[in-house]
Amino acid sequence: MFDSGADVIERDDFCSLAPIGWLHHKMQDSFFLVVGTGSCQGFLQTALGVMIFAQPRFGTAVLDEDDLAGRDVLTALLPVAQAVVAEHAPKAIFLGSTCTPEILKMNVAGCAPAIERETGVRVYPARMDGFDASYTEGEDHVLLAMVERSPTGNDANLVILGCLSPIEEAEIRLECRAMGLPVPSFLPDESALNLPPIGEKTVIAPVHPYLYQTCAYAARERGARIPPMVFPYGPDGARAFYETLAAAFGKSVSYEERERGAWASCEREVEALRGRSIAFCSDALLELSMARTLRAAGAHVPFVATPKVYKKFHALESQRLAGVDVLEAPDRFAVFARLMSEHPDLVVANLNIANALEGMGFNVKWSTELTFQPIRGFSGAQALFAMFASAVRRHDALARGRASVGSEVNPIDLNFFRPERHRVPERIA
Amino acid sequence: MKLAVWAYQAPAHVGVTKAASSFSGIHTVLRAPKGDGYGAIMFAMFERLGVVPPMTVSAMSQETLAGAAADIGRAIVDVDRRLAPEMIVVTRSATAAVLQEPLDGEIAMIPAGTVKAEIFQPDTHPVRDTEISAFAKTVCQIVDHFAVDGRTRTLEPSVNIIGPSLLGFHDWANVESLRRLFDDLNVKVNAVIPLGASPADLRAAGAAWLNVTTALELARPTLERLHQRFGTPYLETVPYGELGTTRFLGELSQILEIPKERVRYSARNAKLGWYARTVDAHALSGKRVGIFGMPSAAAGIARALADELDMRIEFAGTFVTEEGDWLRSRVSDLCSEVLVTDDFQDVARAIDRTRPDIMFGTQMERHSASRFGVPCAVISPPAHILNFPLGYAPFLGYDGANYLGDVVNQTQVLGLEHHLIETFGPRGQGRFAEAAPEGKEEAVPTSSELNWDPSAERLVGRIPFFVRKKARVNIEKYARERSIAVIDEATVIAAREHVGG
Repeated sequence: MFDSGADVIERDDFCSLAPIGWLHHKMQDSFFLVVGTGSCQGFLQTALGVMIFAQPRFGTAVLDEDDLAGRDVLTALLPVAQAVVAEHAPKAIFLGSTCTPEILKMNVAGCAPAIERETGVRVYPARMDGFDASYTEGEDHVLLAMVERSPTGNDANLVILGCLSPIEEAEIRLECRAMGLPVPSFLPDESALNLPPIGEKTVIAPVHPYLYQTCAYAARERGARIPPMVFPYGPDGARAFYETLAAAFGKSVSYEERERGAWASCEREVEALRGRSIAFCSDALLELSMARTLRAAGAHVPFVATPKVYKKFHALESQRLAGVDVLEAPDRFAVFARLMSEHPDLVVANLNIANALEGMGFNVKWSTELTFQPIRGFSGAQALFAMFASAVRRHDALARGRASVGSEVNPIDLNFFRPERHRVPERIA
Repeated sequence: MKLAVWAYQAPAHVGVTKAASSFSGIHTVLRAPKGDGYGAIMFAMFERLGVVPPMTVSAMSQETLAGAAADIGRAIVDVDRRLAPEMIVVTRSATAAVLQEPLDGEIAMIPAGTVKAEIFQPDTHPVRDTEISAFAKTVCQIVDHFAVDGRTRTLEPSVNIIGPSLLGFHDWANVESLRRLFDDLNVKVNAVIPLGASPADLRAAGAAWLNVTTALELARPTLERLHQRFGTPYLETVPYGELGTTRFLGELSQILEIPKERVRYSARNAKLGWYARTVDAHALSGKRVGIFGMPSAAAGIARALADELDMRIEFAGTFVTEEGDWLRSRVSDLCSEVLVTDDFQDVARAIDRTRPDIMFGTQMERHSASRFGVPCAVISPPAHILNFPLGYAPFLGYDGANYLGDVVNQTQVLGLEHHLIETFGPRGQGRFAEAAPEGKEEAVPTSSELNWDPSAERLVGRIPFFVRKKARVNIEKYARERSIAVIDEATVIAAREHVGG
């Protein structure tokens, strides 16, 4: 037990409450009521603080000692939900259960029908604990709660699953029209009340690689069809995505020309990446898709460290990444050692180690940004490559500036604060 | 269960981590679901640390819930082997505490000699302690653990500075400012605790002649413990403002027997007092301010603004509720209202009610004040990355007093400009016209029984927007008291004559 260097310490993973940040913006009539500890509240405040200042359409029902000691959940939760309804008048409440209720086997989800009855507001119970979910999978759990509630249907329809910006939705809508496919429904939509019917003739197209649970549920419980996907990241991903949609409705459409055109429009960004090596050690679950399209763009990907790979759900992405070493939930220090030996031109990393890696001399791209940008589809491809290209250009520019003077940067560590730093060393004095 | 959208203090485990990880050579292992480890991101981002943040999460998983052992031992062994700290502080979040995992037992099972670091579990409560109380206790317990008895005092006069930490408020600059002062006085800094202090520094904690602090609420247990064990005297005064710094140095020089001329010499760059005498600052007299923040900061800055700049304190307050009485004892002569609350809405209401000329508060007050068009300077955590400036921006010592003067200056509406606007109204196309376009102004509830004549409306429209609402209220009150049904120009003029404004 004690001599193994196995994967025991933290996986550099963000909390799965984080998607509340974008989901509450997407669904303007929603309120996210999280049942948890002061820590959940603190996380939301710290991670999404700026948004709280703008519009607090989320909050934490903080468990106190009576709750922890076994007070009836509904008795405590109902007045909080009623106050939320009185103050914010949401059309729907997402009732998020977190780690502590899970440990205590508190039936938070079981409160949803009663709260809905008492307040007249729809309540979606979502499991948002972060024991095993990656942070982006918080969105998966929210969408799962919505799909559970969606009506069944007998008509053929297309559901685009996953939170998208209006511009990304517009592209998909236009392409579907051009291909003669059904008008797609989007989940989530602008209203938290909008639920597309989901039945056996429904085709669900997930746009993110982190929506496995929702897809699995829709297939299992509703018989919906979820074709194996390459996710719509980069021109190659967008092409595969649209061709898959067409095929799902029995149409054969080629997007070869379209893909070529998209690559041509991305040339300025792609040019900066061609021949560069880019390694991933982040936790957005977008790693496989990003690495795949960067490789298609001519970059070299020495390895991809990601929290998990869903063998079937990610099968096509994995196939296209053949030859690239994919490390699942690796130990952080093993990744550091690997980086030291490979020394890639760019490392895509999480917020909590990004500065540390810069301190070690790597050029880092902050990974959380990947989830906030409208980078899907053909029209998002330039923005996608620009995130990486600008990091490479920026690094080169700073290095040129430094080289012109020949000085080094001083990364801040704890010795920075120590008294001896203020003494002139003897060798200089 | 209570709804919380925003809180002044983080949970206890964040306080423990902030304290423990601020020492050098000490690493924190937090037992928690991974999301509770967001403190690591704050270290990395706010302090811009170019090293792996000195904390590690031993993450709970589904297997943990199914009854698997916490395996905290493996996390400890790993950290020890890879980072070789001198001490590993083990703590858990409230969520982890609920599960009641037998961490002690698991730690005891680590074979002897496997881990070189000392393992230390601070005695704090994951639910009952707050960020600040957990921080203060952790610092005290770690210092107490390492401090070695029987050390003699340093040869030359020396101090420990207790309170500064990672994620502290302008702490790097505060330490630098105090260091410059102590250099002038030939006083050595024995240790800065916890920020950067190593276990070796802590072993010699008893060697300092005197302990001082940058925030009493963070340092009190440590100050008292060191006094108890080593008889080290300590100063409760935190050097805010020029007078506060002079008072602080007066107390310090008495204990350390430093000649008065030398203390006076150290004030050679102090400018706040002179600034107050210059005509530029005359307009500050009687300006009304509200203050809210950490107790030491609120008290120190309230005193400086009132005693040194002749400003009027409408209210002072703190979110550290257990320090409410202390704050009252420090500022009750300056203001009638001392606000002790951890609900930011209470503070927002106080700002709305008093409409101070300047608010001094946390990032939340900056937000609240902006809703009422009140300018706000941030003087206390909770902070934003903007409150971690690269440059030298201390709040303590003489340099800090100078900086406070700058903050006041940059936050308030400037003197001459203010006069002109008051006299002629915000008619020009200057910044006030832009700052408050007519449509954006808050709606003022007009009482049903009162009618405003258009001429009176025009007149009131020329009152600067930031006092317009108050003027309206005063005029309506005046009209109501005299049963005036229609407010015209004459009423406005008369009201101004009687109630001012």
